[in-house]
Order: sequence, then structure tokens, then C-alpha cells
Amino acid sequence: MASTITKVEKLVGKRIRRREDPRLITGTATYVDDIQMPGMHYAAIVRSPHAAARIRSIDTKAAAETPSVAAIYTGKDTAKVGPVPCGASLPGLRIPHHYILATDRVYFVGHPVAVVVATDKYLARDAAEKIEIDWEVLPAVADPEKAIAAGAPPVHPEWPDNVAFNYHQEGGDVDKAFAEAEVVVKQRITSQRLIPAAMETRGVVAEWRAADRQLNLYTSTQVPHLVRTLVAGMLGLEENRMRVIAPEVGGGFGSKLNIYAEEALMGFVAMQIGKPVKWIESRRENFLTTIQGRGHVDYFELAAKKDGTILGIKLKLIQDLGAYHQLLTPAIPTLSVLMMPGLYRTQNVRADIIGAFTNCVPTDAYRGAGRPEATHGIERMVDILAAELKMDPAEIRIKNFVHREEFPFPTATGLMYDSGNYAAPLDKAMATVDYKKLRAEQAEARKQGKFMGIGICTYGEICGFGPSPATPAGGWESATVKIEPSGKVTVLTGTCSHGQGEETTFAQIAADELGVDIDDILVLRGDTAIVPYGIGTFGSRATAIGGTALYFALQELREKVKKFGAMMLESDDVAFANGRVTCNKTGQSKSFAEIAGATYRAMKLPPNTEPGLQSTHFWEPPNFTFGFGAHIVITDIDKDTGQVKIRRYVAVDDCGNILNPLIVDGQVHGGVAQGLGQALWEQAVYDDNGQLITGEYMDYAMPRAHMMPWVESDHTITPSPVNPLGVKGVGEAGTIGCSPAVVNSVVDALSPLGVRHLDMPLTPEKIWKVMAGGKN
Amino acid sequence: MKISGTYTLPLPQERAYAVMQDPAVLARAMPGCESLEKIGPDEYRMKMKMVLASLSGAFEGKVRITDQAPPSSFRLVVEGNGRVGFLKGDGLLKLTPAEGGGTVVAYDGDAQVGGTIAAVGQRLIDGTAKTMIKKFFDKLAAEAAS
Amino acid sequence: MIPQTFEYTAPKTLDEAVALAGSGAKLLAGGMSLIPMMKLRLAAPEHLVDLGRIKDLNYIREEGGALHIGATATHYSVESSALVRTKCPLLAETASAIGDVQVRNMGTMGGSVAHADPSADYPAALQALEGKVVIRGAKGERTVSAADFFVDSFATTLEPGEIIREIVVPVEEAGTGTSYQKNVQPASGFAIVGVAARIKRSSGKITLARIGVTGLSNVGYRATAAEKALEGTPGSAEDVAKAAGLVSQGADANSDLHASSDYRKHLATVYAARAINAALAATAKT
Repeated sequence: MASTITKVEKLVGKRIRRREDPRLITGTATYVDDIQMPGMHYAAIVRSPHAAARIRSIDTKAAAETPSVAAIYTGKDTAKVGPVPCGASLPGLRIPHHYILATDRVYFVGHPVAVVVATDKYLARDAAEKIEIDWEVLPAVADPEKAIAAGAPPVHPEWPDNVAFNYHQEGGDVDKAFAEAEVVVKQRITSQRLIPAAMETRGVVAEWRAADRQLNLYTSTQVPHLVRTLVAGMLGLEENRMRVIAPEVGGGFGSKLNIYAEEALMGFVAMQIGKPVKWIESRRENFLTTIQGRGHVDYFELAAKKDGTILGIKLKLIQDLGAYHQLLTPAIPTLSVLMMPGLYRTQNVRADIIGAFTNCVPTDAYRGAGRPEATHGIERMVDILAAELKMDPAEIRIKNFVHREEFPFPTATGLMYDSGNYAAPLDKAMATVDYKKLRAEQAEARKQGKFMGIGICTYGEICGFGPSPATPAGGWESATVKIEPSGKVTVLTGTCSHGQGEETTFAQIAADELGVDIDDILVLRGDTAIVPYGIGTFGSRATAIGGTALYFALQELREKVKKFGAMMLESDDVAFANGRVTCNKTGQSKSFAEIAGATYRAMKLPPNTEPGLQSTHFWEPPNFTFGFGAHIVITDIDKDTGQVKIRRYVAVDDCGNILNPLIVDGQVHGGVAQGLGQALWEQAVYDDNGQLITGEYMDYAMPRAHMMPWVESDHTITPSPVNPLGVKGVGEAGTIGCSPAVVNSVVDALSPLGVRHLDMPLTPEKIWKVMAGGKN
Repeated sequence: MKISGTYTLPLPQERAYAVMQDPAVLARAMPGCESLEKIGPDEYRMKMKMVLASLSGAFEGKVRITDQAPPSSFRLVVEGNGRVGFLKGDGLLKLTPAEGGGTVVAYDGDAQVGGTIAAVGQRLIDGTAKTMIKKFFDKLAAEAAS
Repeated sequence: MIPQTFEYTAPKTLDEAVALAGSGAKLLAGGMSLIPMMKLRLAAPEHLVDLGRIKDLNYIREEGGALHIGATATHYSVESSALVRTKCPLLAETASAIGDVQVRNMGTMGGSVAHADPSADYPAALQALEGKVVIRGAKGERTVSAADFFVDSFATTLEPGEIIREIVVPVEEAGTGTSYQKNVQPASGFAIVGVAARIKRSSGKITLARIGVTGLSNVGYRATAAEKALEGTPGSAEDVAKAAGLVSQGADANSDLHASSDYRKHLATVYAARAINAALAATAKT
């Protein structure tokens, strides 16, 4: 039987619309709060209004008498539940015991103290308000530098210096570099605390099936398997008796890369009452108790030659940890250290981190997690150096870039940059804005007393977290591909998309490798009972590692399909292409579906071959991947008000090969929005007593659509040699490239006034004061 | 948050000082004060209801008068707790004769707010504090005049 | 974000609403300020009376040389009304500067005016327009000028049990130019400072200047010193600068984490100049 073979178009690289969007846009997706179960109970959590206080007593009587209340638990009831885990290990790290409910003392505003469980969620909230707590209010400290100064109130009485750890890392010969320097520039640079503010707040539904000895936990998380392992451990439950499901997850930005007290608490409650229980975090709780990002105070020093060659970098980094270590809290600033040389060749770096406890909610991973802080630091310092040497900021960068032929390039911080062409995106961005002409225009504007700024950031990003030795819980990823008897394909991935679009990109990969229609492919994730163990989605890793695991699983199946096809065609010279196995001699062929059916019916099997078509691959990456790029931002500053207007935003990112340009653009746009938020508007402000005074959207300025400039997103492509897809990662690129570019632009605009540096956010009043006062 | 300002009371200094130590007068003058009950020397238990637009909250707390130096200065400490949060005020009040009669009361202190009101009411705290202080002194002046 | 229990009534007539308001119920007229406060449990009214179903409160009409805006007309309907845009463009422009599209579609003019948020936009325009608020109570109706209506932060002359029926603004005469200029607080969308200018010019001289300011202090006000400085002048650049410099005279500028009192005062001057200049430019077009 002859058949026509049509050339099927490759999907990888195509601008394909996201397959997940229809349900998201029409409001029909299933989030945790959409889960309903018979007998559902609702939890309301009582939280501390104080940043530091001793609990003298808790009176739950009035609350317990409220109609519909089924149970109330306080810290003494849950003390045996394991502590909220810290997954990071550093030498000498002090880890406070993090009870899921406070026992005798609270450490930050929002600290959970009691939980009320009722059949009516309104009455649960009413009852929670009736719990009377007698507080002995204690002095608090909310600023990391004040916390480690002498005489500060101790956050944890057992460690009066408020120092959780000291971390030192050094490469090369820093003292020699600074001794030989012709110029040294120094600057204190802060990266303020930020609220991740995912559109969907956290939420948990826990269901205990006592007869099955089975705990089902639905939670809005980026890491369902990790939640299962660790929460089962906290509850003393065997891991295989627990199933974690992350249904639709409405954004995380790192804030759901964690194990939270409420996840274990709901498991505990469900097991106590034998009924399902739901807790949905309110927006107010989200501001107060979900981890926050950044919180750096950095003291940078850069040693250089007069020609602009950077000789060495010193950094003293004070990290505001908050009151506890959440999953990765202490590890985040160490990522900043890894990335501190940026794209530059210098081999002499020294970093000292002081992890400071404060009476605030813990900091942890937030889009970029350590890399935006590092990039902000080095990119500001390079501009400061350029200003000191009266060099052009583009020129000084190009001078110090790792050269194209030097890859793989070992950095002073122990990384091996995989591949790069760092000048390429900068050249492209400069050509796009016509850099030379722009500088001439700026000179003219300055003559007229106008403040126009041109800001450049050339960033590098550690993507693809990561090789297992570099990550606390394994850095590999798993993928399973099941080809069903009908030829439909189910992909199970250990990554856990919460907006990244893997249902589309992973289907593109599978469609290309198997030659089937994309609509025949279903991508599932986020259920530990269905998906083999996986690590999750964070650190720009899903495609580079999860996608690669998928690629290898697909290769195994390709071989098996081919083998079955060969057997069925009774030929040993066959090709598998475009969804058919074809005999090269006769031209006869078998369709993918025909072969799939035959593998399950198993009337006949090729030698040494098992029935069925299923493959699982665990892929361990040999290295990180390193994305890079150049962002150029043109700003105009309103002389009268200090307001920053972004005239133009050009982002040229190199994330290796691009699977879907539409999704990559979306990632860049979203990342830039968050970077702009940090650069211009957002700031979690705590008062001296540890009260979060930007605790709602009325005072916390999230960027809105109308505040966004048009982002001109472009790319260069330098494939990564680390994985066969040649991809690097792009989830955090926009955020990392943005804030330094914006601040560099504004400082450039104000440089005629002698301004060298301004800390974020660049509020109009801050800029107005600088303009009014002349110098900062 | 720092709070400072001045108010001129149409009273001689001695009388102004005395009025401001009188719990009955204070109870009537403090905006929202529903009761003031003596629990110790210069220490009172207070119940108050704060109403600000649609926002309303009941607070229970203490008022203390310390560092008395009649007729020229004293310290007023107010603490209140309620479902919507807590507030604390601590200020030094200095009395000096005003030109052309009356007494200038200069106040200088700190106000702290915590809980839900701290997180959502930031833009209102300054204005509200000003309004409440003005109401307090207006009432005091009216009390004294009657 | 779960409010306390409350009773809810949606009367069909203003008289019913007045009767309910007299019994201590809280009025709901859009709920853009009240509902969030209730969800945070900062407000816990026992009884909510929704004015949204009262048909004869939702209107915009011209009558006796003035525009009458019913209390429950939404900001969007004020912003988009052809009548308001042509006859009282300052009010339409001000309405268009409120919050965001969702807020403008739900929030009502009467609700906002009664709430008297010190950073709301309407007080500036109503001061500049010398608008009037018509109030219905159990004893009948009374009319209060905007200048008298706004007393303090969230405080008006409304007595318990009274309801705003309508707001009255003048139909602008030829030769009048207006503008509302607002410095927006990026988180909330409220005005850090908002200045409404209304200027009439004839034979090259400013014959009438009305300047309303909001956001600066506890209450929206008319900057009379600035108005006086403008009237009788040709409105030269120097005249405008001089007047704008007087705009915060006598006002007690507030301070918060978004803007210090000094910066607010500075912005008031900047935005006053912008509003006056835009209003002057508009006089030429009418």
C-alpha cells in the first residue's frame, strides 16, 4: 500500500498561542478555591498584630461558642507537628524552630497563632475575631542594618546579635587587584523588600480519608512533590500516603516555591476533624505572611584601571532575612554572590554576606532570586565607574565583557558560563535606538536644561536550576510520555507551570518529535499521584531541564515506535517522520496510531521489546545555562515634579533557542513589568515597630497596564551547549535586565547635577529633592 | 509618626494646665472617648470609639499622665487596642503664656498605629491625627469657656 | 476578606431610603470605598441601604441654566455625558480622572461627594464650579454650597439620616475655560494633589478665576488668594506663576508615605500653573 507523505511543519520556533489561555480568560480554570467537597470546613487563622510579643494567654471560649465552629487549635495543639523546613544549608547557619502556630512568642506581624475551623467561612472569620490574646508587647526591629547594630532588640532571644549566618566567598587575588587599582569606586546600593503579589493568593484544601490512610492536599504551589515529601514529614505521615495536587496556579514568582505553615496546618486539621478543610489566603494575609523578595543592603567596591578595565569587586551584603528561614531564605543572597561579576572578565571577587534576622516576614525567592540584586549592583557600579572615568557606559561594558571565544568561561565565583556573545545584544539594542544619535540629542537637551537619560544594562542570568549538587533538593527533572492505544499522547512533567505556558511549549516539542498533531497531546503536571517525582518550576528551569527530560523520553519512544513499525512493515530499513513509519524500499507505511494500537494489543512483539508505549526520563543537567541580554531605557524627567517618563524601552534578550516567540515575549514583558515595579514604584515599607505600612494595594504601588511603556522585545540567539534543545531560559530575564537599566537611565539624566546613585524605588519626590538640592 | 503643633487655649496658663489634668474634662474632650475610669494615680482606663468615614472601631486602652511639671509641661501617653488594630500616642505638652492672653500649648510626640488600620490607613493617619487634635483642643477651649 | 454580617435593603424610592437612613443604616452608593473597608472589617455597618435601585436618583439633566446630576449617576456617566462634556467640561474631565475604569463604572458622584475623601477628585471641581449639594432629609430638602458642604477629612454637613439627592453645577458661559490637573498616587489612583481651574476672560482680561484644590490638606478648598491674584490680569506667564505660588496659602498640607507636606505644596503650585494655563488656553476656544 503506497501512501502519501506530507511534510509536516515544525512547531518549535513558531508563534503559537497558548493552549491554556481559553480557560484562564473565560474564568473556567480550576484553582484551589474552586474545589468543593461534601462536608467542607473552612479555616480562619488568627494572626499576631505585633511584630514581637509574648503570648501571656489565649482565650478561645467565646470563639468556640460561635455557631458552626467545629474546632479551634493553638500552638500547644500543633507543637508536635514538625517545623516549617529550611532547605538551605550554610556553615554555622542558625535555624530557629519554626512552629506552624506560635507557641509562646510571635516574631512578625501576621505570625499565625490559632486556627478556627467552622462549617461556615463567614462564621469562622467572626469566631476568629473573638479569640482574646493577652500580649506582652516587646521591642521589635525591622531594618537589617539596625538589627545587627549593637543594642538592637533580639529577634530570637537565643541569638542576641541577630546574625543568622556569615558567609564568605572569594576568588582570585582581590587584595592585589585593589592594590594595583588606579581607581576605586564605592557605593551603598539597596534592593528594597518587595511583595510578590501573585494574582491568586495562596490556598489549601486538605482531605483526610481515614479508611484509606490517605491525605489529599490541594495547594497553590510551584513544587508539589517537594510539598509532599516535606509536609508528610512534618505531619509524621508516610510520603506514599499523601497526594499533593497543584491545580491551576495563578502566578507565583517564587513565592510559591516554598513550604508554608498553613500547608501542614490544614493537613493537621483535616486529620484531626476527619473532614475536608479549606483555607484561602486573603490579600491582606498575602501581603503580611507570604514570603517577600529582595531586602538587600549592599556595599560595593570596584577596582579598575584608568582605561576602564575592571580588576576586582568587593561586596559586603546585608540580607534582611526576616524572622525565620523559609525554604530557601538564607540561600538567596548566595546566588547574588555567584552572579556578582555579571558579564565581565574580572577574576578577583570577594563577598561577605551577613544574614540578619528582623521582625518581618521572611524573604525568599522572588522573580530573579538573588540575580536581580547582583545585576543591579554590578550594573550600577559599572555606570559609576564609567562616570568616574568619564567613559561611555556602553564602551566600558564592551571593554570588560567575556569574549566570544572564551566560552565555556570559568568565573571567579566558581561558575562555568556555557556560551555567549555578550556584545551581540548590546550592539543590537544600540542600533535599534541609534545610540550615537541619541547621545547627541541628549547633549542638545541638556543645553536646554532638560533631563533626558539613557540607561544601559547588560545582564547575565543563571538559568536552568540546576545541577543537583548546586540545589538543595535535586536539580534534575522528570518527564513521562504515554502514547495511548489510540495514538493520543499524554505528557507528564515534573515541572509545575503556573503561567509559563508549558502546556503549549512542551506540546510543541512532543508534536515535532512524534510528528503528531498538537491537539493530540495533553500536558499534565502538578499531581503527585499521576506525575513521577519532579522538582518543579522556578529558576528559569522548566524548559531547559524539564523540556530536555521530555526530549529524551520522546527519543526512547521514537525508537520504539520505529521498531514496532519495522516489525509491522517487515522491513529493517524504515524511517519515522511526520507521524508515520515508512519503509524506505517499498514506500509502505504505518501510521502512528496504528503502531500505538499494535504495541498495546501485543499480538506480536519485536525481539527483546516490551508491550506498550511509555517512557520516563530523569534528566540531570551537567551545568546551569546562562542567558544574557541588553536593555536600553530612555527616560525624560519632569523638571517640575520629578516624575520619570519612559520614552523608550528596548530589550534584547538571548535565551538560546526560542521554542515559542510569543511566550518568550510574554515572559519578557511580564518580567519588565516587575522590574519597573521595583525600579519606580514598589516598596514594602515597615515602620520602626515592624508594622507593614504598605499592606494593601492602596499604598503598595503595583504596576498597572496603563503605567507600562511599550516594550520593544528583540533577541539574539546563542544556543546553549548544555542541553540538546539549545535553550537557556527566559522567565526572569526581564526582571533582571530592567531595574538597573531604568536606574542607570534616571541617574544618567540627573548626572549634570552631580548625581551618581539613587536607590529604588525612584519616586518623584526623591528625584524632586535631588533636583531641588543639586546633589544627593 | 511624628506629631507636633501648637494650639492657643483662651485660658491663663495655670487654669489651662489644671483643665488638662482633669479626667472629667479630658473624657469629654477626647474625640470618641466613651468612658475614662481612674485605675491608679494619673492612670485611667479608657473606652473609645473612633469613627472616620465608614471606618469605625472600638478601642480599649489606657491614658497616663506623667512627668508633670505644673504649670508648664506634662507627658500624655495614650494606648488603645481594638479588633481593627492598636494605637499608641506619646507626647510632651508644653504650656507657655500667649501674647495677648491665653496659653500656647505646644505638643510634640509620636503616634504609632498597628494592625489592619496601619496597613490600609497610611494616607489618612496624618490628616486624622490633625483633625482629632484640633477637635480635642476646640472642645477643651469650649469646656473652659462654659 | 470576609465582612461581618449585615442586613441589606434596596429601596425603590428616595423617601423609603430617607426613612431607613434615619434609623441609622449606612448608605451604599457604588461602594468603591465602603465595600473594601467592610471586607477588611474596618467598617461593620449593621444595616446597608443600597441606593442603586432608586431610579429617580440616577439622572443628568439641564434645568434653569444649571446641570443637575443625580446622586447615583456613575463617574463614567458623568465623564461620558454629552451634556456634561459640552456644558460643564470641568466636571466631565474631573470624573474621567477618578480611579480606573472599573471604579468609574461602579462609583457614583453622590457617593464620592458624601464620602468626602480628602484626596478625592470632585471636591476640587465643585469648589471651582461653586457647585451646590441638594440634600434630602426627613424634614425636607436643603441646598448647601460646596464651600460649606465639605468640612473636614470625611466630614460634611450631612446630618445623620440625610441623603444627597443631587449635585448642581453651572452651565458654563462663553469665554470660560476650565481644566483639572492631577498628580496621581500610583498605588491608589487618588490625587496627591488635584487642581481645578475655571477662568473667564473677556477683552483680554481675566474677569473670573476659580481655583479648587484637593489632596493637599484635610479638605478640598478654594484658593482665593490665587484667584484674586489672577482676576483683572491678562493672565501672562508671570501672572500665572504668581497666582500658582499662592495656591496653598492658608492650607495645612498633609504628609504621608507618598508625599511629604513640602512636596505636596510644591506640586500644588506646579499643578495650579498647569491647570490655569490649560484653562486659559481653553478660553480661547469657547
